[in-house]
Amino acid sequence: MTADPRMTGATATAARAPGPASGPAPAIELDHVSRWYGNVVAVNDISFSLGPGVTGLLGPNGAGKSTLLHMLAGLLRPSAGRLTVAGEPAWRNPSLYRRIGLVPEREAVHAFLTGFEFARMNARLQRLPDPDAAAARAIRTVDLESAAHRQIGTYSKGMRQRAKIAGALVHEPTILLLDEPFNGMDPRQRLHMIALLRAMAAEGRTILFSSHILEEVERLADEVLVIHAGRLAASGDFRQIRRLMTDRPHTFRIRSSDDRALGAALVAQPAVFGVELSDGRLIARVGDYGAFTAALAATAKRAAVSLYEVAPTDDSLESVFAYLVRR
Amino acid sequence: MTADATPRPGGDPPIPSGSIYDLGYRGYDGPRLGRRHAVGALFTHTLLSCYGIGRGGRAKIIPFVLAGIAVLPAVIAVGLVALARQAGQAGEFITDASPIRYETYFEIVGQIVALFCAAQAPELLGRDQRYSVLSLYFSRALERTDYAIAKLGGFVVALLALVLAPQIILVLGLTLSSPDLAEGLGENLPKVPPILAQAITLSAVFGSLSLAIAAFTPRRAYATAGIIASFIIPPVVAEIAREVTSRDISRWFVLASPPDVIGATNAFFFDIRPDSSVIAAARHPGELYLAVAALAVAACTGILIRRYQRITA
Amino acid sequence: MTIFVTLVDVTLRGLVGRRRTVLLVLLAVLPIGLALLARLGGEAPDAAAALDALVVRIVLPLIALVFGTAALGAEIEDGTAVYLLTKPIARLHIVVAKVVVAALLTAALVAPSALATGLLMGGSDEGLAATLAVTPAVIIGSLLYAAAFVAISVVTTRALVIGLVYVVIWEGILAGILVGTRIFSIREAVLGFAGVLAPDAWEGGLEAAQAVGLALVVVIGGVALGARRLAVHEVRGGD
Repeated sequence: MTADPRMTGATATAARAPGPASGPAPAIELDHVSRWYGNVVAVNDISFSLGPGVTGLLGPNGAGKSTLLHMLAGLLRPSAGRLTVAGEPAWRNPSLYRRIGLVPEREAVHAFLTGFEFARMNARLQRLPDPDAAAARAIRTVDLESAAHRQIGTYSKGMRQRAKIAGALVHEPTILLLDEPFNGMDPRQRLHMIALLRAMAAEGRTILFSSHILEEVERLADEVLVIHAGRLAASGDFRQIRRLMTDRPHTFRIRSSDDRALGAALVAQPAVFGVELSDGRLIARVGDYGAFTAALAATAKRAAVSLYEVAPTDDSLESVFAYLVRR
Repeated sequence: MTADATPRPGGDPPIPSGSIYDLGYRGYDGPRLGRRHAVGALFTHTLLSCYGIGRGGRAKIIPFVLAGIAVLPAVIAVGLVALARQAGQAGEFITDASPIRYETYFEIVGQIVALFCAAQAPELLGRDQRYSVLSLYFSRALERTDYAIAKLGGFVVALLALVLAPQIILVLGLTLSSPDLAEGLGENLPKVPPILAQAITLSAVFGSLSLAIAAFTPRRAYATAGIIASFIIPPVVAEIAREVTSRDISRWFVLASPPDVIGATNAFFFDIRPDSSVIAAARHPGELYLAVAALAVAACTGILIRRYQRITA
Repeated sequence: MTIFVTLVDVTLRGLVGRRRTVLLVLLAVLPIGLALLARLGGEAPDAAAALDALVVRIVLPLIALVFGTAALGAEIEDGTAVYLLTKPIARLHIVVAKVVVAALLTAALVAPSALATGLLMGGSDEGLAATLAVTPAVIIGSLLYAAAFVAISVVTTRALVIGLVYVVIWEGILAGILVGTRIFSIREAVLGFAGVLAPDAWEGGLEAAQAVGLALVVVIGGVALGARRLAVHEVRGGD
């Protein structure tokens, strides 16, 4: 996904993130898509395009993530705008499901089927030539072999999630949509799933997953789409987004041979808003990230101070998200 | 609050770590209305939600359609009578022969009431169970028994409204359309006590029975099917039993059939001969049916209360 | 073909094997029990009237109602329908499979019920004829009710109550009062089909042509309506 060169300054609202200028059509493309239920606007004028790789759809509950995913899965009709998946509209297009896999959020699965039978049912309905083999393969991929012949009704929450994912993988979709896929998974299962999704993305698939848990998204997603109250608040690499938020100072933690002298020298720099000495560290609050990093080494040298450690302290998705959501 | 200050990224003022923040929440120490008001509030809420009032538009469709169908014959009857009276002597004949009278109305409207019960009773009890909100109710001043009684009261009064509305229309219509108001009053007012008695009996029996069934399953479909089965099947069984078995056995089947029991109390209150051949064949005294009805109400209420005393919330 | 078989298999396993099936079997057995009672009592009731009152008016519509509204409706309500909808299969296939399963299950309970009840009750030739006529009629009736109720279950989540209102009020009350509405009553069509095979025993129903006409309209219309509504069925997200 490419970032919009028009994104500057405080307004990091990526209204439009156009896809590659040439080459194949983007896997997912939204053009001013909105969805409302009567008076309530669930998705508000969202545009983006996605290609292969893992993208995280991040937002608080009620932000519209599920609505967006369901529209992409052809289960909801956009109230306005154009929405295409693999170049075709998703609504009322059953043949598209050969290429899409959806893992819905709702827990309910056919409880009377075993894990294997559920995967096989999905394989058969996908018109696969060898449903049994595909089902077995999918079960193996999600590491559910030991429980594959028990009824899903007896599964734990994490196992049920994996069964759902197996069902969505049987036909090897090029586009995979997952709605809160890590719900109920323990850390080990989550790591396994992250590795799996990364591997699939490396094969060239487009994976879009939603979450309200920042650590998951940070770990797995190459790019994020931050959605809040139905609007797209930001898109792209979250570190890049952070850098664009220049009205919000970055914080660096610096350990040097003489913190106080370095601090005094840094305050003279225009990029620096303030310094603070605490906990044996020098905390610098900075406006212009690029200018500061360029000036830091020179400043330290001039002040005859050695730098031992320079670390950005708030370069996390959490701070990005908190900032965006609070606006 | 500890004085430990931790610098926060982004330049926000440092906040103490590990403290409780005073967000301005205040406890309420004033007077509370207590249990009676809680019960009253639940009763009112139940009554209104039977008709979908207080919920969206879609929730009103089924109860209002059924209520409309229940009231329709009364409206038609009043219209006919009003027209007939214009026609004079011939009109008298028509009004006397009208099949829609106070006595016969309960039979006409009985099936509608059964449908209403099957449609709404599961909504009243099932939703609270399905969405696990019972614990919220029981953590208030409301006791478990209060919950059951309030729901029952609300539902029975809702049924009462359904059953009395057409009768009120009939009473008013027939009285007001009679040429001599005093005569009209004299004819129709004495009917009011039996109307009320029968309405109360019908509402209590149908209401308590429906709720007793609906209390046992959060799934709407099961409850609806169970309720409607309990209204539709026993009369047919009683009818068939009357035909195929001897008198002595079959006459007891009729007591297990709610619509028939209500039909018999109807005949008892209005002091007429029962229409249904099953009831006539059974030849029980009217008081017996009344006793059975009272017993049924008590038993169903007991089952309902016991269910809610034992249900895991 | 495998698609159809898969859909049928999933639906069948979803409908059978629950508490509701046990209760429905009990319902289907009820007329048989009463017939047994009659036989033991030594009476010889009018088989046609009993079958009409019990099987055609009560057992058939109620069982069809439960299976018909649950075949697709239960999956829509609990959210498992998503796994059928997000597949490259025509919505029509899904609806047809559901209708077929609902009809088969209903007929599997009601037809033996009718047959056994009638055989137990009747001694006369007339009774036998009535029974043998009504059994295929209720099988057709199962299909008609199934198509109608599956279609309704796609349109609304309150399909069971609406179906009940139809059976009790439309078929029960109105068809008695407004004779013209009989042409839109599935029950009358069932009686009509029975009347085709045994005209003496089954007099009340529709004429043969009317019954066939209604049957075609209900089945084709129901399936078509269900398929169309399912194609635009929206599944809201959890948010």
